[in-house]
Amino acid sequence: MRCVRVWFNKTGAIRYISHLDLMRTMTRAIRRSGIPLWYTEGFNPHPYMTFALPLSLGMESVCESMDIRIEGDVTNDDLFISLRDAMPDGITVTAVKDPVTDPKYIALAAFDVTFHDVPDPAALADTIETLLSGEHLIVQKIGKKGHKKVVKDVDLLEHLKAYRVRREGDVLHLDLVLPAGSVTNVNPALLCDEIMKHSAGYYVILRTKLLTADGKTFE
Amino acid sequence: MINKDVQAILPRVQKPGRYIGGELNSEVKDKTNVDLRYAFCFPDSYEIGMSHLGMKILYAAANDRDDVWCERVFAPWHDMEAEMRSAGVPLYALESGDPIKDFDLIGFTLMYELCYTNVLNMLDLAGLPVRAKDRHALTPIVVAGGPCTCNPEPMVDFIDVISLGEGEEMYDAFFDLLKDCKQRGASKDEFLHAAAKLPGFYVPSLYDVTYRDDGTIDAVTPKDGAPAVIPKMVVSDLDHVRYPDKFVVPYIEVVHDRVVHEIMRGCIRGCRFCQAGFLYRPIREKTADTVNDQCRALCDATGYDEISLSSLSTSDYTHLEELLDKLLTWTIPEKINIALPSLRVDNFSDELMEKLKKVRRSGLTFAPEAGTQRLRDAINKNVTEEEVLRTARMAFAGGWTAVKLYFMIGHPTETLDDVAGIADLAQAVVNEFYRNPDKPKGKGVTVSLSVASFVPKPFTPFQWEPQDTRDMLLQKQAHLLESIHTKKISVSYHKVDISFLEGVFARGDRKLSDVIEWAWRHGCKFDGWDDSFHFDVWMDAFDACGTDPAFYANRRRDFTEVLPWDHLDFGIRKAFLQHENEKAHHSETTPHCRLKCAGCGANRLNGGHCDAMRQSMV
Repeated sequence: MRCVRVWFNKTGAIRYISHLDLMRTMTRAIRRSGIPLWYTEGFNPHPYMTFALPLSLGMESVCESMDIRIEGDVTNDDLFISLRDAMPDGITVTAVKDPVTDPKYIALAAFDVTFHDVPDPAALADTIETLLSGEHLIVQKIGKKGHKKVVKDVDLLEHLKAYRVRREGDVLHLDLVLPAGSVTNVNPALLCDEIMKHSAGYYVILRTKLLTADGKTFE
Repeated sequence: MINKDVQAILPRVQKPGRYIGGELNSEVKDKTNVDLRYAFCFPDSYEIGMSHLGMKILYAAANDRDDVWCERVFAPWHDMEAEMRSAGVPLYALESGDPIKDFDLIGFTLMYELCYTNVLNMLDLAGLPVRAKDRHALTPIVVAGGPCTCNPEPMVDFIDVISLGEGEEMYDAFFDLLKDCKQRGASKDEFLHAAAKLPGFYVPSLYDVTYRDDGTIDAVTPKDGAPAVIPKMVVSDLDHVRYPDKFVVPYIEVVHDRVVHEIMRGCIRGCRFCQAGFLYRPIREKTADTVNDQCRALCDATGYDEISLSSLSTSDYTHLEELLDKLLTWTIPEKINIALPSLRVDNFSDELMEKLKKVRRSGLTFAPEAGTQRLRDAINKNVTEEEVLRTARMAFAGGWTAVKLYFMIGHPTETLDDVAGIADLAQAVVNEFYRNPDKPKGKGVTVSLSVASFVPKPFTPFQWEPQDTRDMLLQKQAHLLESIHTKKISVSYHKVDISFLEGVFARGDRKLSDVIEWAWRHGCKFDGWDDSFHFDVWMDAFDACGTDPAFYANRRRDFTEVLPWDHLDFGIRKAFLQHENEKAHHSETTPHCRLKCAGCGANRLNGGHCDAMRQSMV
């Protein structure tokens, strides 16, 4: 039995399925792929599968990974081909590798946000610059305390590590780096919702990279 | 395949995964290469519709044709509908994302009376007039099938064509006709007249219904050569009929998220309250090899780790043990569970129990349906208290600690003593648990009663019976609660208001279409969902249309009355149903079909064949 890290993209309409749905989808895809999956040896055997950092519903990503346990001496290349061919539309397996970084060291995530159907992209670009270069940007976040829902204030600028606004044709991009992982996690949608209060249109968030606290790429 | 307008609204709705399409095994075709676009609409939520086996079967059968592209459409939930209406997004099909108003054919499955308003809502959301007479063009033609079409009359003003019976083999002629009419530039009228001549297709606009002063039907008169009686279609050989070799695998969790395999059609039991038991006759079984092979293919194509063997009464399937032996050889190593719903208490053997222990340990559910032997005899539920207790004993000995029992209240001839009998039977099951010397230490027993309210349905021996009034049902529910003296028994009910409305529409006539439209225009939809059900609006609808719902639900019909569904032939002879009704009132039972053919008549529609008869003669 050995552990492998399966890297995949989640893009297009499938971004609208939740993490739980993704786990179900992956379990079935792995079954269809026919790879020699290792099962736990309890009364109710189940496969071992763990995701580096769950992706919020609605986000796309080109840096998703899940760790699975494999039996036998099948190579990573063979696993890659079997898994790639078993995936539904929108999930693209990009590599199967031996894990390098422990997911517990994930501290940051980089995002590429695109704004669509915006009437005046130049004006929105200015708005974003103004919002993000200020002192504070307080938004309300709905959190949980036990089973109760609580609203708390979050200063997004306190957490924002880096950003860049850029234009590619009619599409406005906003690159962001925010805390991610088990200690502090800031959902970029909080920021984007705040931005969209100033313009019509809609946005799509793409997660591009996971990083450790010292800025190394999670691999 | 979703467009930008939909993308813009999806972040604001719950469970957006319902609306995106693109699931594994969904059929995507080149629309320039097909002759007919077919929107298969399920008038309920995605989670319900994607659990429906009939839709999977018909989706596969229609898409087998290269010239047809069949796509799925479900009723958008309230939040999505509001967003679609405000953004001007019309109802679209999941595979292509194209608006369904441009399709050639729109099909609805009517599986439940309380989805009727959703049909109107979906037509409206598509941008089409809800009434058939207001849709003048040839396409889209609106067709409906499913169990409720055994009495489609309350809905016929909204539908162009009703298909009766089993759809698998009916499609071809219908598609060919529509394709031909489209290519010739024929009128809708021309198409409808031709469709009325196809076996199993009922074109309601070609029938005039006249009424008597008391509101009952005087006559149903066919026009322009339409047949006086329309027989339902049956598949003669289940082994060779198209069964899907792949299911669309939903991303989001749906109600039945597993491989479902239909092992037989029809039921030998003849419980007098059960519409399905009569509607799906004659009995036809699949061979164990076919089921095994098809289950294997489906597991491979979907990656599901559970198989449910489905039928109206699974333990009556003659090859059950052979099938389980075959399945277990590969499902155990591949860690696939097998679920067996619909087991009976009277033929639940030790061997079956042993095999079940290998496959799965979930709750056990049995359906005694009534609390006393007299009433069980009247409804022809041929199980005895001793059989129920024996099965409970076996289950408890096998390690089960939870048993679920299904009952109904409101059966014809039922008294309050019969209702109290439900509590007595449940108590006897509890006692059985404590009598077991090997009962697991530190564990109690849970007996859950699920108590539905009986709704008389067409094509059953009780089709003439009055439904209990809401007050009577509430009184019986209260009486049952008073008769239970332990917390080990829990009771859940169906809402009596919903059952009442179901009763009205189940045996309704064409006059009810105004009521349905009124209720829908005043906000009724998803009526089968407790949170969406607005009984007061429905009562206003009956008032506004001058219709008395009790006329449909709570009135005893005379055997000589013309029933709204008399011109539809579902195989079962009316004289047989009347005889069964009379026996019920004398608490006389009828043996099941394998012991003795009761002569219901359903085999007429299958060239005289019925698998139950064949076996009874061996």
